[in-house]
Amino acid sequence: MKLTPVLLIAAALAGFATAAQAKPWWMRDSDSNETDFLPPDVAFRAGAALDGHALRIRWVIADGYYLYRDKIHVEAQSPDLILGPPLLPPGVMKNDPFMGRQEIYTQQVEARVPFTRADFGAHPLQIRVTYQGCAEGGLCYPPITKVLFPAAALPESTVNAPRQWELIAIIGGVLAFLAAGFVLRHERKLPLPAQ
Amino acid sequence: MTYGGLRVLGAGVLAMLCAWAGARIYMNWHPLAAADMRAPAGLASPPSAADKAADEAADLRLATLPPRIPDKLPDFSLSNLEGKSTPVSTWAGQPLVINFWATWCAPCRREIPLLNILAGEWASQDQVAVIGIAVDHRDQVSQFAAQFKIGYPLLVGEEDALDVAAKFGVESPAFPFTVFTDRRGEVVALFVGELHRKQADLIMSVVKNLNSGSVQLGEARRQIAQGLDALAEKT
Repeated sequence: MKLTPVLLIAAALAGFATAAQAKPWWMRDSDSNETDFLPPDVAFRAGAALDGHALRIRWVIADGYYLYRDKIHVEAQSPDLILGPPLLPPGVMKNDPFMGRQEIYTQQVEARVPFTRADFGAHPLQIRVTYQGCAEGGLCYPPITKVLFPAAALPESTVNAPRQWELIAIIGGVLAFLAAGFVLRHERKLPLPAQ
Repeated sequence: MTYGGLRVLGAGVLAMLCAWAGARIYMNWHPLAAADMRAPAGLASPPSAADKAADEAADLRLATLPPRIPDKLPDFSLSNLEGKSTPVSTWAGQPLVINFWATWCAPCRREIPLLNILAGEWASQDQVAVIGIAVDHRDQVSQFAAQFKIGYPLLVGEEDALDVAAKFGVESPAFPFTVFTDRRGEVVALFVGELHRKQADLIMSVVKNLNSGSVQLGEARRQIAQGLDALAEKT
């Protein structure tokens, strides 16, 4: 029962913390409502991976935010790296009376960029991506430029996934082995090994 | 080992091989089989190491403190559309509405008709000056101002305009954002995002009270914040 006051305090603190999160911006130690919007690197998360003779560049876009298709640019940074034009899927047409028709992406988008390199892998792959987007709530971020190093290795989760399936296969095989043994033994009535 | 035992062993090994081979074929053939469950739908691959690095960078940014706006209007000068350096003290003694914007920004464009109206209304009623600070190239802004018939004074800059934004506590600006000051040069509010009529009227009504001395700065900021929150809840 000695824990009860501690629990009460913890519960009160937890409640306070929750309330602090729910507080409006003027009570969160901020004098502006900027915290109503996400930082650009949270609103638009960019990453790149190597996929054979192409690069896959992915943007994960937060809910309520969008990227402009024509503001996405990819440039080579590594020596002897020649990039083809980015292949982007069709976006959604957005009509804005003050900006005209704009093709945008929401949620996520993946560009495929074919490449050739003459250095036979002597330099690490390095690209520079530029993109620009806005929040539906009425805020636009300046163009964001990032240098990315497309990873040659498969992502960790992809490596792990086959292992999981192989484990399932091995267990299944063991079960099949036992079942086959049971069936054959039952049908043939094989003699038990000598005691 | 008897013949029957060998058959049992063979069948078992064969079953294991078939199951393993089937799993491998499935993994290679099915595009989504290897996908991480956390990967967004519609993408054929899970987040890469670069995604994780971006996440970490984003977390770092979130950990930084939000901007603190100054109590007093900072001193600065920027070029006007004619290229003449114009200090903000030009409007000393007037309540100011300083709108930071850029030509490429859709919500900034949407705000302009409202700011044009407010500039006319407020200037005649309370000597309020609406000033636009375009973080952009001057040529583009000049063309744009003519096209959109911007009727309030514009200051223009690139790095120097970003420096002015930083003086208001906005180090990495997104646009638009609007600063409201009273006639004594106290910074009353910094509103990030597209400004709408109700929000503008609310803030300006409190600025009026501040100008008349019926409220102090802290109370004025609290009233604005509560009012904006109430407006947000209605919408």
